[in-house]
Amino acid sequence: MRAWARYLIGTVAGAALGLGGAVYVLRSAALGNNVVIGPWATGQTFGSVAADPYTRAVVALKGLLALPAQEARYYTAARDSAGAPIEGRCRYRITGAALPAAWWSLTAYDPDGYLVPNAAGRYSVAGAAFPDGGKAGWTILLAPTAPPPGETAAWLPSGGIARVELTLRTYLPSDGGRGNPGADILPKITREAC
Amino acid sequence: MARWSGPLVAGALVAALTGYGAIAYAPDLLMAAAIRRVAAGGFNRFAHSPLATAASRQIVRPSPDLAYSACPYDISRGSLLIHAVPVAAPYWSLSIFDSRTNAVFVRNGGQAWGKPFAVAITHPGRSVPTGYKRVDVVGDRGIALVRILVVDRGAFPGLDAARRATVCELR
Repeated sequence: MRAWARYLIGTVAGAALGLGGAVYVLRSAALGNNVVIGPWATGQTFGSVAADPYTRAVVALKGLLALPAQEARYYTAARDSAGAPIEGRCRYRITGAALPAAWWSLTAYDPDGYLVPNAAGRYSVAGAAFPDGGKAGWTILLAPTAPPPGETAAWLPSGGIARVELTLRTYLPSDGGRGNPGADILPKITREAC
Repeated sequence: MARWSGPLVAGALVAALTGYGAIAYAPDLLMAAAIRRVAAGGFNRFAHSPLATAASRQIVRPSPDLAYSACPYDISRGSLLIHAVPVAAPYWSLSIFDSRTNAVFVRNGGQAWGKPFAVAITHPGRSVPTGYKRVDVVGDRGIALVRILVVDRGAFPGLDAARRATVCELR
């Protein structure tokens, strides 16, 4: 084989590898993996000029038009607190404490970032769903079917899809977006049954 | 095998450059695609979306708790003037994103004291009308986005009517 042909093969293969690698890295990234707190990942430069190219690309793919930190914080989880992927066919108990923000909500998405279809038409649970806004602690059941009678936790349908990703939004964080709640404040995601 | 060492090095170099380039330019490409989707009804005018459902595909990770109104802008032929009117909701904001996905301006209802305000999206060197907060952006195209928190979906029709007081126009 001639030298030019070998170089052509090398560069074409390199271009394909680089492009494929970039697509894989971006598609498999969690939204905001600069900071990891328990099962939650977040970043503090969303929507900011200070964002590095990787963060900017992940946000563009998975959270385009996200607000900057002083306005809202976004925490995403694709795995439970034990490190296993969150599966739509399973039931999870998500427990949290008072969140330091004016308002918060937890939303379920499919891996492409779209809301999970479900017969109840329910896509999120907000702090306002709890008597005191969740200040005394709160529990959400992520499950494909409604909780049994007597269950006091709020239901967030998982639609039974293969993989679920959760986004916790906290609007107008009390610290102005300068920091993050600790792992003891952010919700725990515990698998109960499959 | 030695004959392949040069092509392998060249391939590795091209892979690194291509990978970095793809990541670096992905935001521009994705933002341009999002602008095209949002601008299906035209540029420089607000489109008021219904509350997001599982069928919503305009943007990724839409919040089902927020009502979105988007004004996709193209300021290649003038500046975009926005007359923003906060509505009575626990959270309301106007944010402006440039072609590089940067949020170059954000003002929420609390910061506006619930009162109307005016913003001009423009380029350096252009003049804007008196009374408008000047926002210089990179690139001609981007999106101005109003978010309204809808705590009770039953209250949405009233908020939907009120949000239409916020308008944008090219001048």
